[in-house]
Amino acid sequence: MQFRAAPLLPLLAATLFAVPASAQMDHDQPHCAALSELPAPLASWRTPSALQAAVDRKGAAARAMLTPGQAVTAALRNTPDVAYSVRPAKPGGSVSYGGLASFTVKEAGTWRVALGSGAWVDVVKDGKTAVSVAHGHGPDCSGIRKMVDYSLQPGRYTLQIAANGEDKLTLLVTRLP
Amino acid sequence: MLAAAGEPWRWDLPAGVEPPLVPAGNAMSAAKVELGRRLFYDADLSANGTLACAGCHEQKRGFADGNAMRPGVHGDPGRRNVPGLANVGWLPRLTAADPTITSLEAQALVPMFGEHPVEMGMKGLEAELPRRLGADACYRRMFARAFPEQGGRIDPGTVAAALAAFERTLISLDSPYDRFRAGHIDALAAEAQQGFGLFKTLGCSVCHAGRDLSDAQYYQLKPAEPRDTGLAEKTSRAEDAGRFRTPQLRNVAVTGPWWHDGSARTLEDAIQRHRLALPTASIPPLLAFLGSLTDQGFLTDPRFAMPDRACGRKL
Repeated sequence: MQFRAAPLLPLLAATLFAVPASAQMDHDQPHCAALSELPAPLASWRTPSALQAAVDRKGAAARAMLTPGQAVTAALRNTPDVAYSVRPAKPGGSVSYGGLASFTVKEAGTWRVALGSGAWVDVVKDGKTAVSVAHGHGPDCSGIRKMVDYSLQPGRYTLQIAANGEDKLTLLVTRLP
Repeated sequence: MLAAAGEPWRWDLPAGVEPPLVPAGNAMSAAKVELGRRLFYDADLSANGTLACAGCHEQKRGFADGNAMRPGVHGDPGRRNVPGLANVGWLPRLTAADPTITSLEAQALVPMFGEHPVEMGMKGLEAELPRRLGADACYRRMFARAFPEQGGRIDPGTVAAALAAFERTLISLDSPYDRFRAGHIDALAAEAQQGFGLFKTLGCSVCHAGRDLSDAQYYQLKPAEPRDTGLAEKTSRAEDAGRFRTPQLRNVAVTGPWWHDGSARTLEDAIQRHRLALPTASIPPLLAFLGSLTDQGFLTDPRFAMPDRACGRKL
C-alpha cells in the first residue's frame, strides 16, 4: 500500500497522510534557523503547562487530565512502571519512558495528538484503541515532530504514550476546526 | 511457552524447497527462534529504548517501513529505505550496497552498532545488552536454552545469532504468484498473467530473477548522487558510483515507498525509473503482476508477530 497525501486541513501547513489502522510515521527533521509560526489549533505549543503522566488508566482519569487545546510538558514514567490499558504496538524498552493521561471529547470531530518526539501514541476508550485517520509531522521548524489524527465521538479517552527517549515530552490534544 | 533446549528446528517449507543455508556456528533451534522473535520486538536493543528491529521492519508491510527513510534514535537522518525481510535467509547479499555483509548474523549488528548512519545507537553501549536483558529472569532462561554451549551468555554475538535465526524463519512462499508457479493457473488473474508475461519480455526478469526476483547484483539506474554513492562507498571504484543491489520483489506492493532512498512514492514511478520504453498500457498489468507477489498469510502469520507471552507470563 502506498500513502497518499490526505486532503485534510491544508491550513495547518503540515504533511499528513491517510493511514491504515495503527500506522504512525517518523521523519527526518529539517535544519531550522528560526521557529516557524503556528496555526491556531497548535498555538499553545510553545507555552505548555506542566503535567505528571500517570502509570495506569485510573491514575490518568483521576490526576492526569489534559485540557484540549492546551499543550503540556508531561513528566513521563519509567516504562517498566507503566501499566497500559492496551499494549502499545511499539512498546518501549526498559530504559525508555511512557505514561498515560486522559482527556474529554465534548464535540465529535477530528482530534489531533501532536508530539515533540517520535514516541508511540494510542487513544483508548473502553479498552479499545481508536484507529487513526491521518498522521504526519508538524510544520517545519515548529518543534512538533509527529501528529496523529483521530475521528472521535464525545466521551472520556485515555492517551497512552510509549517508547519515549526522554523523561519529558511536550504534547497537545486539540480538536481541529 | 518456553521452547525446550536442543529441540530441533523443523522447517515448514513447500515440497521441493530447500531450507536456507545456516552458518555452522549458529544452528537453528526452536529456543533460538523464540528468543530471536522476542528480541526482534524489543526496543531495549536501542540506546534509549525507543526503537526495536520491528520499529522499522513492520510485518504488515512485509517487514519494510512506510517511511522513505527513517531517522535514528538520536535524530540522525536515515540514508536508505528499509528493505522487506521476506525470504532473507536465502539472500546472498543483505544490504543495498555492501557486498561484504553476507550473513544475517553480520547484518543484524549494522543497525544496532553502525554509525553511518546511527540507527539504534548501541555503539559503545555493548555492555548495556547483558545489563538490560540480563535483568529479566525470563531472558536469562531463554538465552540459557538457546545458547547452552555459551552458557547462556548475553552479548552482541548471541543477540545477533538469535535475531538471525528468527529472520531465517521469515518465509514467504504462498503468494498468488507462487501458487501460479506451482501449477495453479487460476491463482493469477488474467491481467496479472499478462503482467507476468511483460515482466519477462521487457527484460525485468533478467535482474529481478529467480524465485525471489533478484539476481543480487549491483546496477546503476540513475546518476550517482554525492550523498550516497552506493557500491563505490565500499569498493572505492569510480565505476561503482550509483550502483545498488537489485531488490527482491516479494510483497513489493506493500513495502513502499520504493527505491534505495525511498524516493519513489508509487510503484509506477519505480517502474518508470528503469529506463525502459514502456507503453502506457503496460503499466496496469505490470502493477497487477507485482500485486500478485503479496503473500497475505506472511503479512499476518502469528508466528512472526510481536509475542505477547514469554516464559508463561504476559509481556
